[in-house]
Amino acid sequence: MSSALSLKGYTVLRAGRASFLIHRRSAAVALGLLVALAAAVVASLCLGESTVSPVEVVKVVLGQPSPHELVVGEFRLPRVVVGLLAGTALGTAGALIQTVARNPLASPDVVGVTWGATATVVGLMAYGVVGSTGQAPYAAVAGGLAAGLLVYALAWRRGLHAQRFVLIGIGISVALSSLTSVFLTKGDGFQAQAAKVWMTGSLNGSGYDQAGWLAWVLLAAVPVALWAARAQRSISFDDATAVGLGLRLDRIRLGMALLGTVLASCAAGAAGPVDFVALMAPQIALRLARSAQIPLLCSALTGALVVVPADLVARRLLAPTELPVGVVTGLVGAPYLMWLLIRSRRGGS
Amino acid sequence: MAVLEARDLTLAYEARTVVEGLDVAVPDGRVTVIVGPNACGKSTLLRALGRLLKPVRGAVLLDGEELARIPTKRVAQRLGLLPQSPTAPEGISVADLVARGRQPHQSWWQQWSAEDEAAVAEALERTSTAELAERSVDELSGGQRQRAWIAMALAQGTDILLLDEPTTYLDIAHQVEVLDLVRRLNVERGRTVVAVLHDLNQAARYADHLVAMRDGRIVAQGAPGDVVTAELVREVFGLESVVVPDPVTGTPLVVPGAPWAVAVDA
Repeated sequence: MSSALSLKGYTVLRAGRASFLIHRRSAAVALGLLVALAAAVVASLCLGESTVSPVEVVKVVLGQPSPHELVVGEFRLPRVVVGLLAGTALGTAGALIQTVARNPLASPDVVGVTWGATATVVGLMAYGVVGSTGQAPYAAVAGGLAAGLLVYALAWRRGLHAQRFVLIGIGISVALSSLTSVFLTKGDGFQAQAAKVWMTGSLNGSGYDQAGWLAWVLLAAVPVALWAARAQRSISFDDATAVGLGLRLDRIRLGMALLGTVLASCAAGAAGPVDFVALMAPQIALRLARSAQIPLLCSALTGALVVVPADLVARRLLAPTELPVGVVTGLVGAPYLMWLLIRSRRGGS
Repeated sequence: MAVLEARDLTLAYEARTVVEGLDVAVPDGRVTVIVGPNACGKSTLLRALGRLLKPVRGAVLLDGEELARIPTKRVAQRLGLLPQSPTAPEGISVADLVARGRQPHQSWWQQWSAEDEAAVAEALERTSTAELAERSVDELSGGQRQRAWIAMALAQGTDILLLDEPTTYLDIAHQVEVLDLVRRLNVERGRTVVAVLHDLNQAARYADHLVAMRDGRIVAQGAPGDVVTAELVREVFGLESVVVPDPVTGTPLVVPGAPWAVAVDA
């Protein structure tokens, strides 16, 4: 009767009473993304005003003495690390918020979080309260969190309803973007210009100051993300079915939305509001992994894999002028996402 | 005392009270069917029995314990539910869908035990969906899809099953197929079933215990043979009818009064 059942596409690992169910394609994609990401990091460290060989780059990263320590270790590495972390945070945030909103168009950019960070920083910078390098990250984190919490508070009505959440998020985003424009026009001209550069999302001059706390936030997010990934197996059903399967829907939605907000705010704090990454990365990851729900780990890696090469392009495209990374992320990711969409439509589904 | 019962239950959406002061005990190991006109509160009652709706007053009790106070995962090990139009993640296979019914028995370090595997294989077998296991749920026919969902609820391994209009959108052959399946699960596995059904005659055929509702109250309950009468149909649905024995099962068969026609002079 209970003949062995094979779950197509999954590999089962069992040891004693412990058992793990692994979606094979997601695991393979994650591995592939990791390799590509490593290559992108090395390439970013090799290329610049002076070209450094990959061997030397690896030496510097491993802490061995090298004549390129200054260029690679001091100039390029911090910037790549911040890009890597910010991309990871954005990819994860997008995956979480799209899961909660059940909507592929929802992302921290759309539901108010990013605009919260932007309006706060631009407001404070345009009126000379903070400089671009100093307290801007903290202002961004605070602003993003505040906007996110405001959206949840307004959307909460005996639970967080997906549609209400997205609509109120859009409303708050529009209001905050208008406010940002007011700050830019009314504020001090020179300061407003600096605020504008911050607004496009830039890794220019990024250092370990940003990398340090962003890394801690990401590390702290790992257990919450693992919890969220388990819940994703049932949250992708309708609400009634999910509750029937024993999911504490309100708690899990709020947890996912809050984690997404924290990660997106911190990414904005470290690199400014880098556009499109949080929106695109989960959708690219979903299509690569062909899983039933948005894969968190693959989304995180895809986020990093969009930002790191995008920053390389931003640095080199009009060298010696360095472009803000936010200008390029859309250029790198959007065509790829469109290609995936077109291909899947031809596939007949 | 019944395993699942409701006491003095009052249910409301926003300010609109749908069910007021209702008491009901679900007989263990039997098929209970709730019937009534549209908007009589039958689906609302089922939602409350499945903890999808919090009572304004009163309580649903599972083993004498207030449902709202039991951790939802523990409830999910006792009570499975199939909503009226459930939605599955896009592109999911039947086996994957049914496998997710095991969620209440899993944890982060026990994601797919041998028991999970056996329960899913058995659920597929019992619902004759084993041959569909690798197909995508999206491409199944209505009847097949409903069987797959029932398989998922079955894999959950609960002794109580709540079904909200499981035959809606199905043609008559598939309706009979699904209801026969439910009946068989009840007889062979001793599962307690509570279902909301639209069709009074089907309810009379498949129920051990019939609950007739109107305006958020229970008008009558009991064995279909005792409950379903022309008076009850008039009182509950406001319909004139003749009740005759079903030629196949002997259960009450409601035949509505003559259809409208132009009066013909004799």
